[in-house]
Amino acid sequence: MPDPVYLDHAATTPVRAEVFDAMQPFFGPRFGNPSSVHRWGREARTALDEAHERVARCLGASADEVVFTSCGTEADNLAVLGIWRARRAEGRRAVVTTPIEHKAVLAAVHEVTREGGDERLLAMTRDGLVDDSSFDKLVTEDVAICSVMWINNEIGAMQRVPDLAERAKARGVVFHTDAVQAFGKVHIDARSQKFDLLSLSGHKIGAPKGIGALYVRRGTPLEPLMFGGTQDRGRRPGTENVAMAVGLARAAELAVAEREHEWKKLEALRDRLERGLLEKLPDAVIHGRGAPRAPHITNISVPGTDSESLLMALDLRGIGCSAGSACQSGSVTPSHVLSAIGVPAELAGSAIRLSLGCLSTEACVDRVLDVFPMLVEKARRLQTA
Amino acid sequence: MLVAMSGGVDSSVAAGLLVKQGFDVVGATMKLFCHDEDLPDRPCCSLDSVNDARRVCQQLGIPHYVLNLESAFGRDVVRDFVDEYARGRTPIPCVRCNTFTKFRDLVRKADAIDARWIATGHYARVVDGVLRRGLDPAKDQSYFLWGIRGTILSRMLLPVGEQTKAETRAMAHELGLELIAEKTESQDICFVPDGDHTKVIARQLGGDAPALSRGAFVRRDGSVVGQHEGFARFTIGQRRGLPGGFAEPMYVVEIRPTTREVVIGPHEELAGRGVVAREVNWLVPPLQAGDELEVQIRHRARPVRGTLVRSEADEIEIALADGASAITPGQSLVFYRGDVVLGGGVIEAARRELPILAA
Repeated sequence: MPDPVYLDHAATTPVRAEVFDAMQPFFGPRFGNPSSVHRWGREARTALDEAHERVARCLGASADEVVFTSCGTEADNLAVLGIWRARRAEGRRAVVTTPIEHKAVLAAVHEVTREGGDERLLAMTRDGLVDDSSFDKLVTEDVAICSVMWINNEIGAMQRVPDLAERAKARGVVFHTDAVQAFGKVHIDARSQKFDLLSLSGHKIGAPKGIGALYVRRGTPLEPLMFGGTQDRGRRPGTENVAMAVGLARAAELAVAEREHEWKKLEALRDRLERGLLEKLPDAVIHGRGAPRAPHITNISVPGTDSESLLMALDLRGIGCSAGSACQSGSVTPSHVLSAIGVPAELAGSAIRLSLGCLSTEACVDRVLDVFPMLVEKARRLQTA
Repeated sequence: MLVAMSGGVDSSVAAGLLVKQGFDVVGATMKLFCHDEDLPDRPCCSLDSVNDARRVCQQLGIPHYVLNLESAFGRDVVRDFVDEYARGRTPIPCVRCNTFTKFRDLVRKADAIDARWIATGHYARVVDGVLRRGLDPAKDQSYFLWGIRGTILSRMLLPVGEQTKAETRAMAHELGLELIAEKTESQDICFVPDGDHTKVIARQLGGDAPALSRGAFVRRDGSVVGQHEGFARFTIGQRRGLPGGFAEPMYVVEIRPTTREVVIGPHEELAGRGVVAREVNWLVPPLQAGDELEVQIRHRARPVRGTLVRSEADEIEIALADGASAITPGQSLVFYRGDVVLGGGVIEAARRELPILAA
């Protein structure tokens, strides 16, 4: 079998060599606890402080505005629940978000409703953008927090986050964006952009799984999710994961430095992929294609096929990609994102997400262009048989 | 080779045996239902079995996939289960699961990945394209397989049907599958929580559905002898939950859904001399009126001699020379000759008189 082709970078990416090297010492001689007063502690503290500064620099922020978390999901939970719990006493009892958020935000918002808050979901256009009039209607003076993901992880739709943040702030609403897919793709600058909180995740940008961060603008009220020590100003108690924080800092720096080059590279590959697929499968539908979107995600439905069978068949031929969001059991469930942007269930049931990244080359794309249409033809033959 | 894996010992050993025989095996676990659909953020109830199946596949070094067949299973199996109870009958969802879910929908998935073969952990055998009982009489599951399409038999492998349950467990240890080797098996229907089928009916039809509403216990002569809390709680031949105070043991002998009556009577009123079945499926060239066969009216019932007296498109009538007790609409009527499964159907009605072969 030819070399396997990994087209699931939106799920996770391999740890970069530079990142691995940067973390190495902290699994060895520099093992100290940053809270200790002795030299070992000092060494670790130095690395951790620098990691805060380095991540902050990547965001146009100050070091004290960066909270390290265990993952993007924790960052999202801390943002949504932390703000809601801090602000409910002000009489701001509503939380606004989109129906296409990652489950990390959606489930946290559901938790808010269990705690007595109101959940408001923005209307979406068919291309996966926030509907403007819906935003104006729902984001009102009684809203604690509005959370809108910058780049959607399933279809790549890119929201006008700076503009939405500005409008939310005008109504005293704290604005959060899940930038897990956006970091390293779009220009992010907390000085010129008005978001109050921003989540990111290490393993989408070449750092290991198990590290994320939340940017929290100075002066933003935030309740912690956990209780314990005073690490990170009490916002995130627990001994800091120094090695991973250093890894995230390195990965973030690389991602920012390579951002524009990476965008062009991925966009060219994606266009080659989409052009090739549409040529061979003229009735295929690429979701969210009509709106501004990220360069690394293609979500395609081919009528007459089903995601589950295609994913299996692709995997058995060495091509790894995904469909919808995986349920806990690992089975494929219909995508809440596609249904939220009005894709009919039947079409959504054939959706496949191909996501490009550091491992992607023209040869990978061409391999998919060979195999994918062939599997589709076969699936259709079986369907009609 | 696609192996349907439940996470239990039978299908795990089936997969292990096939890997050992050199087949290129892919394991698939079907996700068929979710009790917690009201709580979308909670784990699925079938998670533990999925995890076990995945661990077994990891140990065997084969890919494992979880296939979501929830909506088809809900339509073909769960919905029918509920409808049958609402009609006063006693369904066997496992038969429909085999017919529609495993050996139709799952076969489509097998086709999609070019799997020539499909295997399960059933205790039955396919020998030269003929479906036979499993060798372990205590475990034989051929009764549940009559509804599959005959054309599937040429692609079907049932590796554990050649052995006893004890041998299967021993083999699980041999294969190093300690995780599942001593797993106890549930006799319950997989989607029925804690064995109470009325919960499933109540969820789909509402707790006030006629099948779950109060009705009368009556005798064949029409006399009312008590009240019950829903005819779906009863099946033919049942003794539990009936009013007392009779000279002899009483049994449910008939369920009348339109009037919500449950008819009870002494044992002799359970006797049937003939049986009508529908949705008939043949796995061998269809028999003709006048042909002799053996039939089994319930899982684990002793097969009895019968004569086919009428065979129409979809309906069949069989005379039972020695009679049978508690013939239950909704159960399967499976046709055998020795250990060969000829086919089967769904029991529509019992005949109290011996049917006569039409000239």
